[in-house]
Amino acid sequence: MATQTPAVVMDNGTGYSKLGFAGNDSPSFVFPTAIATKGPGGGGGSAGSGRPAVGNKPSFLTGGAGPTGHLSAKRGTEDLDFFIGDEALTASAGPGYGLSYPIRHGQIENWDQMERFWSNSIFKYLRVEPEDHYFLLTEPPLNPPENRENTAEIMFESFNCAGLYIAVQAVLALAASWTSSKVQDRSLTGTVIDSGEGVTHVIPVAEGYVIGSSIKSIPIAGRDITYFVQSLLRDRGEPDSSLKTAERIKEEFCYVCPDIVKEFARFDREPEDRFKKYEVKHPNGRSVSVDVGYERFLAPEIFFNPEIYSSDFLTPLPTIVDSVIQSSPIDVRRGLYKNIVLSGGSTLYNQFGRRLQRDIRHLVDARIAASEVRAGNAAKSGGLDVQVITHRRQRHGPWFGGSLLGQTPEFRSYCHTKAEYDEIGPSIVRKFALLGGPGST
Amino acid sequence: MPAYHSVFLDEPNQQLVGNFALLPLRTRTRGPAQQLPPLAGVSELDIEASNESYDPLDEVLSLFRANTFFRNFEIKGPADRVLIYGILYVSEALGKIKPGMSRRDAEKAVMNTALDTNFAIPGDAGFPLNQMFEPPRDRNEAEVLRQYIMQMRQELAVRLLSRVYADPSGQPSKWWLSFQKRKFMGKAL
Repeated sequence: MATQTPAVVMDNGTGYSKLGFAGNDSPSFVFPTAIATKGPGGGGGSAGSGRPAVGNKPSFLTGGAGPTGHLSAKRGTEDLDFFIGDEALTASAGPGYGLSYPIRHGQIENWDQMERFWSNSIFKYLRVEPEDHYFLLTEPPLNPPENRENTAEIMFESFNCAGLYIAVQAVLALAASWTSSKVQDRSLTGTVIDSGEGVTHVIPVAEGYVIGSSIKSIPIAGRDITYFVQSLLRDRGEPDSSLKTAERIKEEFCYVCPDIVKEFARFDREPEDRFKKYEVKHPNGRSVSVDVGYERFLAPEIFFNPEIYSSDFLTPLPTIVDSVIQSSPIDVRRGLYKNIVLSGGSTLYNQFGRRLQRDIRHLVDARIAASEVRAGNAAKSGGLDVQVITHRRQRHGPWFGGSLLGQTPEFRSYCHTKAEYDEIGPSIVRKFALLGGPGST
Repeated sequence: MPAYHSVFLDEPNQQLVGNFALLPLRTRTRGPAQQLPPLAGVSELDIEASNESYDPLDEVLSLFRANTFFRNFEIKGPADRVLIYGILYVSEALGKIKPGMSRRDAEKAVMNTALDTNFAIPGDAGFPLNQMFEPPRDRNEAEVLRQYIMQMRQELAVRLLSRVYADPSGQPSKWWLSFQKRKFMGKAL
């Protein structure tokens, strides 16, 4: 076969979209999944209103004449007047444009905007001819098949793309961990901890299939850590405690400590080493200096001690992971404990994986000891291996996993092609063969 | 991992008043507490829980910053009540120090609260934690408890001041003052 065009890998998340080509090391574009359209809030929830879009059915389902009629109502050029990504944020700061986020909680809520978002992604950013490329898209776990069909309709009918594969993000995150030296067998069994900006998911995956009934999510993620840093800055009366400053401090200085009391003592003993300063540069040229102290280790601590931040959610992350695995089928639990994979920006703190591994191991060992005592010490357990995998591709885990699988020679045979779609229709994408599963490599 | 508990929970032969433990203290103020030997060879910052001079007040100061973040605390024994009282008192004393206050003014303000004999002890109507603290049985016990708590308050005030004013600049540490508004268990004395 002649040299193939690389597959396009698009990972559209609630916060950020990652776009690029299979085989690459990192995505070519990472920008907010935001779209700025003409008019206030442009046919969806306007910026900051927090409301979901009013009409979130695809335009082709309302027959082009629905009461909401975004595009159909204005067949001029208005529908071409929009921006996506960082440009959208800039445009919405000025007059005339409203900002919307078409994806909420990982799922596409506004198909009209998503279609336009994709068209700009493909033609303006990636600059590819969709007829020539296969596409690998991602979806959250438990995505309804109807959403897949909608996606396929847009991809095949609006863009005419050559082939399509839709993969579950958690499975791709598992594939991304294969780059770690700790992974010996490239299995698709493991527990994925995916922590982004809005929410943290713990997703058990057995041989490439998500165990949907055991998924748990935690309302603590990147944004909460930023808010917590901000509140600590405010308690201290720092000269600048904006969200942006808090976010920068979070990204630059925070780490996970083994024990907070010992860490406080360490700050007392080695103040020069531990306390830092952060320079905030204002656009007018002036700069102020913000002291950075205990938030360095307290902020990520809210994963392990949610009580210090929130009053209604109190279960630590290690306990959640343990209970997720305990609620999974018994024959896969060993594999789930052995391969706990991190993914997403909020898992990047130094020592995060080590602390998580230690805490989960404590829980597991305590339970084994208790059951041995109950058995009257008649049976000894051989122990259970708990391993948390930290690897260098964590930040864009699902995208990198997609890039890894999308470059394999057999990738195309797993895709549904335009011809197949034309013959069978959208229902064809309800099922995909498991990419990277047993027997494929 | 919930809030931190006292290491003195398993201490044998605790003297109790109500369910409050009168643990030995390392202090020179007079009172009912048994005296521990003074520090030898280690500073207050480095002292380990295994040291024979380590007392509940060292523990209060080292756990104060971590525990004030917690609203829930399960009392596991009489020694935990000493810890709770100590932490709440540190909060109160810290509240008296204003940013930019000189050490002398801060000493005056804090020692005022420490030397004031008019404070509530368990069983008094004004004590905020009466649900978890048993009142003393009689007048005598109440007097012993009052004097013991008095000792705690004075010694804590001294040690707290030396920590808050550890910096040679003579200014109170902003890192300590940032804990003024936090309330352990949502309570204040």
